Amino acid sequence: MTLRGVSRVYGRGPAAVRAVDDVTIEFPRGGWTAVMGPSGSGKSTLLHCAAGLERVDAGQVLLGDTDLTAASDRALTALRRDRIGFVFQSFNLIGSLTAAQNVALPLRLAGRRPRGAEVRETLALVGLADRARHRPRELSGGQQQRVAIARAMVTRPDVLFADEPTGALDSSAARVVLDLMRQMADAGQSIVMVTHDPAAAARANAVIFLRDGRVVDRLAGAGPREVADRLASWEAAQ
Amino acid sequence: MIGMSRAGLAERWQLFAGAFLSVTLGVALVQSSLLLLISAATYRPPAGLSAAERMEFTDSTAAVVSMLGIILGIATFLAGFIISSTFAFTVAQRRRDLALLRLVGAGRGQVRRLLLGEAMLLGTLGAAVGVPLGLAVMAAQTRLLHRMGFVPDGFHGQWREWILAVSFGTGIVLAVAGAMVAARRAARVRPLEALRETGDAARVMTLTRWLAGLLFFGGALALIIVAPHGGPDGGAAMAMNVPLPAAIAAAALSPLVVPLLGRLLPTGSGVAGVLARANLWDARRRSASVAAPLIVLVALVVGTAGAGQTFTSSGIDELRRQTHADLVVETTGPAGAAITAVPGVATASTETYLPVTYTTGHGEDAETDTGSALIIDPAAYAAAHSTGSALTRLSGRAVAAGPSGDVPAHGTVVVELPGLELGEMPIVAAAPTTMSGGADLLLPPGVAPSSLLASAPTRSFVTLRPGADASATRAALAKVGTVTTTDDWLTADAKDRTRTSDKIMLVIMGLGGLYALIGVVNSIVIGAAARRREFAEARITGLTRTQVIRSALLESSAVTAAGLLLGALAAAGAYGAAVASTAAVTGHGTLSVPWPLAGAVCAVALLVTGATSLITSWSATRRPPITLLAARE
Repeated sequence: MTLRGVSRVYGRGPAAVRAVDDVTIEFPRGGWTAVMGPSGSGKSTLLHCAAGLERVDAGQVLLGDTDLTAASDRALTALRRDRIGFVFQSFNLIGSLTAAQNVALPLRLAGRRPRGAEVRETLALVGLADRARHRPRELSGGQQQRVAIARAMVTRPDVLFADEPTGALDSSAARVVLDLMRQMADAGQSIVMVTHDPAAAARANAVIFLRDGRVVDRLAGAGPREVADRLASWEAAQ
Repeated sequence: MIGMSRAGLAERWQLFAGAFLSVTLGVALVQSSLLLLISAATYRPPAGLSAAERMEFTDSTAAVVSMLGIILGIATFLAGFIISSTFAFTVAQRRRDLALLRLVGAGRGQVRRLLLGEAMLLGTLGAAVGVPLGLAVMAAQTRLLHRMGFVPDGFHGQWREWILAVSFGTGIVLAVAGAMVAARRAARVRPLEALRETGDAARVMTLTRWLAGLLFFGGALALIIVAPHGGPDGGAAMAMNVPLPAAIAAAALSPLVVPLLGRLLPTGSGVAGVLARANLWDARRRSASVAAPLIVLVALVVGTAGAGQTFTSSGIDELRRQTHADLVVETTGPAGAAITAVPGVATASTETYLPVTYTTGHGEDAETDTGSALIIDPAAYAAAHSTGSALTRLSGRAVAAGPSGDVPAHGTVVVELPGLELGEMPIVAAAPTTMSGGADLLLPPGVAPSSLLASAPTRSFVTLRPGADASATRAALAKVGTVTTTDDWLTADAKDRTRTSDKIMLVIMGLGGLYALIGVVNSIVIGAAARRREFAEARITGLTRTQVIRSALLESSAVTAAGLLLGALAAAGAYGAAVASTAAVTGHGTLSVPWPLAGAVCAVALLVTGATSLITSWSATRRPPITLLAARE
């Protein structure tokens, strides 16, 4: 996944805010990249632009050789079904559907009849094989987030986008989710994750720091302490 | 996707129950009105009636058919309005759910198909319950028509096989049409909106809303402008139709106006008041959905009833101004000679009533109607009813067009009295058309044989000689027939007319008003279903449960008041048209506002919305707030 000169501006004239300002970045295939930055640094906007959820004002977003910025709504829908997965802070499961039905949803939307085994395997992958028939409100936050990950993974997407996936979880539930993501990355899954938690960012292969919509720094293989220090220094510089 | 629909139904049952209810009641109302109309239109006079009775029967059936036609029109309008606005509201309430579907890969077509599939399902289910319910409604409406004396004893609504197709068609078409516009819009929802915590941030004043609002506003305005030029019948019909387009326009533009009006209303300075005002501003879509059926309710009931009442009282006033006589004598058969023979009587206009069938136009344009004819003495009639010199040419084998205005002022007309074909006769004169209507044809004495007149009801307008002994003359006249003073007679006649028009209004508006009121309740319940979380957040912030409930109550009262005000505005449009029309026809503008009815409608509306909002917000705040906020979906 490649971003070339991507900009996103909110508002007009003197009140305009450059949420993402001429960012060029490559997220390697099969790697886990964390995006960090002070609040208001544009990290969520960057993620939304990369995922084709938000229009960009300049630049190109390429997934393989598909240009997301030029894609029609139909093409973007197809991408969301087959090649892009999402995980969010607030889980966003459909409350009326069971865990298994939630996981099977992207397949059904793609017009495929989901095989029971396929859904069960995906749920087993996130350790929730025994919760298939539960509804979201009968699950803990950590379990709900793992169902959301299973839903994102069931289509075997090229990239998994995660926006503060542990933001609403306690530390032990967060650890389970991060372990799961680590396993997936090790198995070759590309992941782009926005977080403000240094412990979460330290589990990624690389960390990118954003400030005022620009990439200002990059770390690879750093521990939580090092990530936290670097984040603190960028926050202080503001 | 079917499984999705089913699961969605179970989860959001209030939304779907509301939509279902709107279809069921709408289908029942339309079906009942249609069956009654068809039954009345095909109703044959019972055997053994005389020619005169048969003509009268046909005339009264025609009146019932036209009244049922209006009922059907209003029922269809209400069903269309309430079903489509309820469906549009339920779709708008689910915006966030739909965005979520888009996020996990649903295409626009899939969202649209899901919503239209649901609408079709709900339309079918609603019609399935609406058909038997419609039979119950028909029984109730028939009882009402009997009790009011509008239909003969043997009349009852009849079942027709094809009504099944019509009822299911109505339910499904209205539901799908209502969901269609909303579904197109919902399908364009951006997936990113699923990530916002509160949905419904979308623009409320869409292009469709603007267009509908301005188009129907223009329609209402056109009716108001044209009504004074429509004569008594056309003017009344146009003025009484003003509330329909005016209500649609007011409802479409209500998201602009309701929050503004809400701001003007005193909601107190407490926390609950501040929150209520803020919510009014923020949740325009919800406010508009509650206000819309209220606007229709007030416009339709108060507007139409007031316009009707205005025309009735204008007719009464006109009659009072035009009638010049001291006494009215009612007899069976012509008593003109006996009356003028009484000493003290100066003049008497003796008018004998006969039912008549008349045909105007020729060939393809020929139109046959049943109505009433009066055998008159032209000069005396002109003096008693201030018709001027218009009738002086009426004599021999000729007719004059009566004050009903239904017969053209010149040309010829083929006249048939009970058991007597008079053939084609020239129309030589026309009495001025009056607001209160009256006879269709005026015939000179001598065209009808005395055998036909002997049993016909006759009314004589008598003026006394100056200086005559009133009581002696009256006593002498009492030997000829029933005598009343003209004042008493006019008062009794006015009471009679008012009572009839009140009854018609009750029959026409009763069930329709009830349906509109249920639409209001529906919108509040649907709106509250989505507010559990909002209420919980307010309580976590530190508001007590009482404060939250009070704030919801204040908000709904303000929306109700704004809806009533907009409805009153639409009704005022009808009043304007009515005043202008009565002025154009009679030379005196009249306005008669049904204050007790208006007051009752406002009180009932405030009471019902208040109670509904209390109950729904009480039930939505029953669980401790933290359990709601913790259970995130």
